[in-house]
Amino acid sequence: MSEQPLFKVTIDNITIEVPAGTTVLNAARKIGGDVAPPAMCYYSKLQGSGGKCRTCLVEVSKGSDKDPRPMPKLVASCRTNVMDGMEVKNITSTKVIDTRASIVEFLLINHPLDCPVCDQAGECHLQDLSYEHGKEGTRYEFQRRTFKKQAIGPYIQLHMTRCILCYRCVFVADQLTNKREHGILDRGDHSEIATFIEKSLENDFIGNVIDVCPVGALTDKTFRFKNRVWFLKPLDAHRDCPTCSGKVTLWNRGDEVFRVTARKDEWGEVESLADGKPAWICNSCRFEKKKTSDWVIEGPRIISRQSVISQGHYAGKIGTHTPAETFSAVHGGRQPKLLMDIHAVSEVNQTDIELSLLERPAHSTDFHSEKD
Amino acid sequence: MGVKLLLEKAHVQGIRSYEVYRREGGYRGAEKAIKTMSTDDIVEEVKKSGLRGRGGAGFPAGMKWSFVAKPEGVPRHLVCNADESEPGTFKDRYLMENIPHLLIEGLIISSFALGSNATYIYIRGEYAWIVDILEQAIGEARANGFLGKNILGSGFDCEIYVQRGAGAYICGEETALIESLEGKRGNPRIKPPFPAIQGVWMRPTVVNNVETLASVVPIINMGGDEYAKIGVGKSTGTKLISACGNISKPGVYEIDMTISVEEFIYSDEYCGGIANGKRLKACIPGGSSVPVLPANLLLKTAKGETRYMNYESLSDGGFVTGTMMGSGGFIVLDEDQCIVKNTYTFARFYRHESCGQCSPCREGTGWMEKLLLRLEKGQGKISDIDLLWDIQRKIEGNTICPLGDAAAWPVAAAIRHFRDEFEWHVTHPEEAQKRNFGLAHYADPIHVPAV
Repeated sequence: MSEQPLFKVTIDNITIEVPAGTTVLNAARKIGGDVAPPAMCYYSKLQGSGGKCRTCLVEVSKGSDKDPRPMPKLVASCRTNVMDGMEVKNITSTKVIDTRASIVEFLLINHPLDCPVCDQAGECHLQDLSYEHGKEGTRYEFQRRTFKKQAIGPYIQLHMTRCILCYRCVFVADQLTNKREHGILDRGDHSEIATFIEKSLENDFIGNVIDVCPVGALTDKTFRFKNRVWFLKPLDAHRDCPTCSGKVTLWNRGDEVFRVTARKDEWGEVESLADGKPAWICNSCRFEKKKTSDWVIEGPRIISRQSVISQGHYAGKIGTHTPAETFSAVHGGRQPKLLMDIHAVSEVNQTDIELSLLERPAHSTDFHSEKD
Repeated sequence: MGVKLLLEKAHVQGIRSYEVYRREGGYRGAEKAIKTMSTDDIVEEVKKSGLRGRGGAGFPAGMKWSFVAKPEGVPRHLVCNADESEPGTFKDRYLMENIPHLLIEGLIISSFALGSNATYIYIRGEYAWIVDILEQAIGEARANGFLGKNILGSGFDCEIYVQRGAGAYICGEETALIESLEGKRGNPRIKPPFPAIQGVWMRPTVVNNVETLASVVPIINMGGDEYAKIGVGKSTGTKLISACGNISKPGVYEIDMTISVEEFIYSDEYCGGIANGKRLKACIPGGSSVPVLPANLLLKTAKGETRYMNYESLSDGGFVTGTMMGSGGFIVLDEDQCIVKNTYTFARFYRHESCGQCSPCREGTGWMEKLLLRLEKGQGKISDIDLLWDIQRKIEGNTICPLGDAAAWPVAAAIRHFRDEFEWHVTHPEEAQKRNFGLAHYADPIHVPAV
């Protein structure tokens, strides 16, 4: 592969160099944090996605070094490639913030707002979006649109009223499965995700539509009404699966596996495997392997960004987070007379034993053997 | 009588047939172009003519042609946009129905100029009978050696295919048209890439309106420079206007863009005045998407000058006091028409025709329709008017394709110019159900501040 030229792009006054052909959104994600525009329809692992929800609109105040004219309209950052010397305003532009708030309002006018009974609550991108970018009220005073209920098989529940028509599931069906069985019917605000003739979705990888759905329109029937996501403990686990990578996140309560999902990164997208391919999981991993004994548990899963499930709110990329307050800053320069670190004086928790390296639960012999 | 280039022969007996069209001088342009001119010459002539796209946006056609990418070994396509669905516009229908060979000849010349061996006419599904007319014309042209292999011994091959749409307004948008032509759901594509680089089947494509392509024939016949002499300024040539609404003589008129709006409405040669001796209240001069203007601003610009039927004069004053030439769907409203109801009708249309791909248009058009219906029924609030204004402002410019803008502009213009009529619907809810607001002050001369 030939060396790709690096383009310098400034987003919200932060300059970063990215390879040519990168979109503004991905450049902003490299910077991370608040600079990254929200995206409801764009999914980096799905070809052709993006451009539809308009939440990622940004202002281009300078086109490039060659052509410094600003772009006349706000552009969808997920589908606009960076140019050398481009200057982009995201959260520094009042126009962008204003427009984004109204896009959130548009997305919510026909959304049922049934979060209390929705399984997606807690990990819903629309919740996050309206919390971060929306206004507190709506000016919509009419009946919300409803749809006729459609059954699409034993595993996947479709709630068309919650759908924001991001088309992600259509791309999944198109690109992951061997035959597309569903799509968009009708047009305008009455367009819907459907299977045309009521037909169940039966493809090995069709379960991934649940993972890509940013809202609660497509949910897991095997998990439906069983639990709230924030009560569950996410664990990384794997198994030898003949059809997929078998690398998943288990959502446990106690020893019981409540649901299985793909591993998601900080943008809510399915993680990439070591070979760069996305770790989509197959239907049997997702829907049928609901026993702890089916899985080899690797350890706790760090969930970022999702508002309720994660305990702390990540400000940057995973692993780059540093605590806002240091130990000494908390003490404000005071030198306390007695400062006890329980770990330092504990005889039990010895620092020279790496408990996480043990392949089984720790036993008292582990501690004794070291001493003797 | 103004100059007529397109419809001059439209009423000759039997002009639909090849023999009569040929006898009346048809296909001379195609012969001249293919036998004596190079492809660059033709593009140059069209550029010189200053021909602007007749579909609505008014983008210079020659410029569009010169943008087409010409990579080696990749076929190029010309697509004729006959998906004429804008409410109030029916000029292409008239042209195709009466003088189909003019379009076919224009297509042959344009295909030759652009190197398109497979040219498509994407026609709206409702024009079912016109498909037959076009197919017959294509068959006759092929039988006489103007289509098929090795046209007129030049070595150039071309076929024209007619593809019917399935009744969606959005498929008149060029990228949605391309998607639909490919057999997919007619959702507009995100630009870039533009069709000139990647259009039909990712090949370089030019999409032009029926009237634009038909205008290529007189341009080749008379030469680009001669053509540019007709009309004024950057509005060259002739334009078909489909006039409808409360006028005495609705129909399709060919104008040379030098006449005033007043003359067009009141002259017996054209619309013949407002029907039943009523007074003019408002007009939408370019199809439903362009801003509506009250009578006073329609006949005179904000500077007090006479407004003419051409691109520049109609858009004088921008969207604040002007409007657009659009596609030439000239809708006239008399004093008995209700602007609120009219705006509601348009909003309902755009809500129905929004493809539902991007959120501002999908949700916003439905919201606007509901608010307008409430206002029209006399159940609205004053704050609804401000809310409507805010919604249209948030739709405009934030969507993938121009349908969002097209839905926002009529609402914006109606509120801008007819706000008191909207307010009257709120303050007099019962009266508003019984009678219309009437002409009010909308025809009063406007005060022109001295410069």
